[in-house]
Amino acid sequence: MNPDKMKKFKILLAVDIVIIVALAVVMFVLKGQYGEMAQKLATEQRDAYRKQANDMLHAQWKSVDQFGMAWKLVFETVSSKDKSEKAFTERLKAIESDMQARERQVLHLYTSAGIPEKAQIQFSELGYAEGSILLKDEGGVKEIACGTGCKISFTFAKGMLKSMDYSALEKYSPAENFKLVEPAPFRFE
Amino acid sequence: MNIKLISIVATILAVLIAIMLFMQKGNYISQAQTHYEETTGKSYKASSQMLGFVNTGIEQNRDLWALAVNAMQNVKTAKQMADLESKLFPSVKGSNSISQKTRTFSLGTDLFIVASFGKVAEDPKTNVKTLEDLQGISVDALLGNVAKPAAESEEVVEE
Repeated sequence: MNPDKMKKFKILLAVDIVIIVALAVVMFVLKGQYGEMAQKLATEQRDAYRKQANDMLHAQWKSVDQFGMAWKLVFETVSSKDKSEKAFTERLKAIESDMQARERQVLHLYTSAGIPEKAQIQFSELGYAEGSILLKDEGGVKEIACGTGCKISFTFAKGMLKSMDYSALEKYSPAENFKLVEPAPFRFE
Repeated sequence: MNIKLISIVATILAVLIAIMLFMQKGNYISQAQTHYEETTGKSYKASSQMLGFVNTGIEQNRDLWALAVNAMQNVKTAKQMADLESKLFPSVKGSNSISQKTRTFSLGTDLFIVASFGKVAEDPKTNVKTLEDLQGISVDALLGNVAKPAAESEEVVEE
């Protein structure tokens, strides 16, 4: 081999050694980082999806609470001989403030639907519907929340019940509001 | 000669290490992706099932409440109650208890309403007894207050 070629191969070998060492270093450094990064991203994205699912389950729980209160209010209003606005307001207040009754009603629906007690306890601890189900009270018209995406109304004239519209409760379709989307594909960026 | 061979081997080695490095990256992503798909898949399945069960429960409660509220406004007799039931629930029938003057309509062991009547009427021609004068409807089961009443099969008269 002539000295020129020999010199070129020596340079090539030297470059190779540098590259190999550099790649080896990069491999060992990135080995942990890539693995950890991918695992971390997977955990973050999994947790975000679980949160989304749990939030929806809890929203459904709170919606059931409103749904139960609204039906109870409609039933008691229809059953009662006292159709005054005052009686209605007291009825609504009594229903909303009786937390034990609300709890029993929601738990009963969940138990009869076959939901495990453990899950019921979790939802119960997260809380029931917040605030009043009375959404609006203007000009004798009271709007009542009856679940996610559901409201009914009671109209009063001169302090007495004139009419009520609870058709939204009769037609209430929970599947439109409580349906989980499939998880998005894993993203590694 | 030796230098030539060693430098060629070293070049090949460098290329192999570079490929390995690239593949290793893909491998980590693939492992993380599999883990993500398995765990979120389970969450999706379990949560969707639970949402579906509760949605069905809401629908059953909704229909039973609608029956009770509708009956309170429009029903006087067990016959009218039976007509309303068949209109809202074509495949489910309620049953009368003549001695207790009640009519129970049930969608399940813990999902039912009980209508109470004031009097028992008897058809003079057929001697079939029926209930009249609706007094009220118990929705205690819907409120989670009571278990289903004891069997009334001895006295049940189907409408």
